[in-house]
Amino acid sequence: MVHALIDGVLTGSVYALMATGLTLIFGVMEIINVAQGIFVILGAYLSYYLQLHFGIDLFAGLLITIPTMFVVGIVVQRLFLARLKGPEKTAMSILVTYAISLVIEGILNIAFTVNNVQLNTSYTNKSFQVFGVYIPYIYFMGFLLAIVLLSGLYYMLYRTRFGASIRASLADQSAAALVGIDVKKVSTICFGIGIAVTAAGGMVFGATNAFNASTSYDLISRLLTIIVLGGMGSLAGALVAGIAMVTLEDLVGAIWSPVWSTMAFFVVLVVVLSFRPQGLFGQQSARAA
Amino acid sequence: MSNAEFVTFSGVFAGYGGGDVLKDVAFSVPQGGITTIVGPNGSGKSTLLKTVSGLVRPRLGQIMFKGQNLVGKSAREILNLGVVQVPQNHSLFREMTVEENVALGAFLVKDKKVVASRLANLKEMFPIVAQRANDKAGSLSGGQQRLVEFARCLMLEPDLVVLDEPSMGLDPKTLKIMFQTVKMMNEAGRTVLLVEQNARQALKMSDYGVVLENGHVRLSGSGNDVLNHPEIGALYLGGGAQTKKEGQA
Ligand SMILES: Nc1ncnc2c1ncn2[C@@H]1O[C@H](COP(=O)(O)OP(=O)(O)OP(=O)(O)O)[C@@H](O)[C@H]1O
Ligand SMILES: [Mg+2]
Repeated sequence: MVHALIDGVLTGSVYALMATGLTLIFGVMEIINVAQGIFVILGAYLSYYLQLHFGIDLFAGLLITIPTMFVVGIVVQRLFLARLKGPEKTAMSILVTYAISLVIEGILNIAFTVNNVQLNTSYTNKSFQVFGVYIPYIYFMGFLLAIVLLSGLYYMLYRTRFGASIRASLADQSAAALVGIDVKKVSTICFGIGIAVTAAGGMVFGATNAFNASTSYDLISRLLTIIVLGGMGSLAGALVAGIAMVTLEDLVGAIWSPVWSTMAFFVVLVVVLSFRPQGLFGQQSARAA
Repeated sequence: MSNAEFVTFSGVFAGYGGGDVLKDVAFSVPQGGITTIVGPNGSGKSTLLKTVSGLVRPRLGQIMFKGQNLVGKSAREILNLGVVQVPQNHSLFREMTVEENVALGAFLVKDKKVVASRLANLKEMFPIVAQRANDKAGSLSGGQQRLVEFARCLMLEPDLVVLDEPSMGLDPKTLKIMFQTVKMMNEAGRTVLLVEQNARQALKMSDYGVVLENGHVRLSGSGNDVLNHPEIGALYLGGGAQTKKEGQA
């Protein structure tokens, strides 16, 4: 029980990081990036590749994989998403990003086969004890990494001029344009940031789970659930729902049975949405215009 | 006030992809005055204002301002030329504080000292900005939000202020304050281009009036000319009591 709680919070923060990227993309661009799951896996494979072929430590490798994924995000946005417009934009974005997801999945299957891999380090299997519970170092380090990156992201969003321009674009694109914010540029950079966080999320995910390319389906359904539950486009929602949902899942798994844990995820979603269709932190009217 | 042409529209055609909303619009906004555009719902008033601020790009035509054609310029470039717009729908960032919102009005001004001093001035001019500085903008009433939007648009010290139905949804008391504020802006040297449903009241304080009908300029002239034109009076100014629902652009 205590174990499930600790584990939920540690893992949940990593999901919160990945979901924050997703909600940022939706909030600013009104794009539902269903490729977020495969980007996480791509991030994981990048770390795997660097370690396997160049012996680069997983955490040190992030200095390469995070900027790489940022650039990948920018290229994808410029090439495939920047031109989506009009009332069908969001629906179209699901199709486009799904296609992107399939292509990347295909490439990863060829490059790395469908055999499961897991990222390993000297510290992956070591653990330490808190409250009588053994916590693997990797979980704790992943948690710290997520906290550091989320703090950095929040600092940028709430304390810098560029962050203010992102929050303004999130709230109302034409109002943002009217004060001189270059919404196109903000969109592109946000997509880059939204994808860049998957490098870190993917590495931690890959170090704590065995994965192959098709693991992305499970990931994206969780991430979408988290941001819908938190309120599409809500940063606070992604953070709270990310930690809460994974913790709940772990608790249900520990108390009843792991069979029910994934179920619990979706039961909560259905219940919350029937009372608050806009999600926990979503705003109903803010983007009605 | 001089009567020099400040903004000149000629042959402007614009729309949203499905046919032209504006069809060959041509008129001039005199410098230093208040120009009011009136016309029925859906006649293209907001679209016209959006062509000025760069939110809608005309298919054809010119909008000359300070010797430059605004057509084809980005919203940002147009702001830098000294044209600001307060749109018809509320445009404050609801989750940000009143002060943050007003400060964002000077997003294009990099010098923090300049921003701070303008903010201080506007707090004097608009007491609501000082009183509710740290409250979320979304918690203000519709009228209060309008005034904060006015304050925000003045942060750039613009030469041309474009206001789209600022009276929408205001109670009579706030309405009066709003009109006084428009006058005050104008007296401070800013040329005002206004779209108003309270046509009578707006035309009375205007130097120039334009009647837009079905995307076309039906009539233009001094505020009084438009006000006293027999046909127009019956058609659009009937008592000046037109009201309409808030919320659609
Ligand atoms: N974003 C848009 N996309 C497509 N058509 C639009 C859009 N905005 C306005 N229109 C159409 O353009 C026409 C003119 O609209 P506009 O908002 O300019 O009128 P208006 O004179 O400002 O009306 P109101 O008095 O209701 O504000 C209308 O037929 C409207 O349906
Ligand atoms: Mg309008």
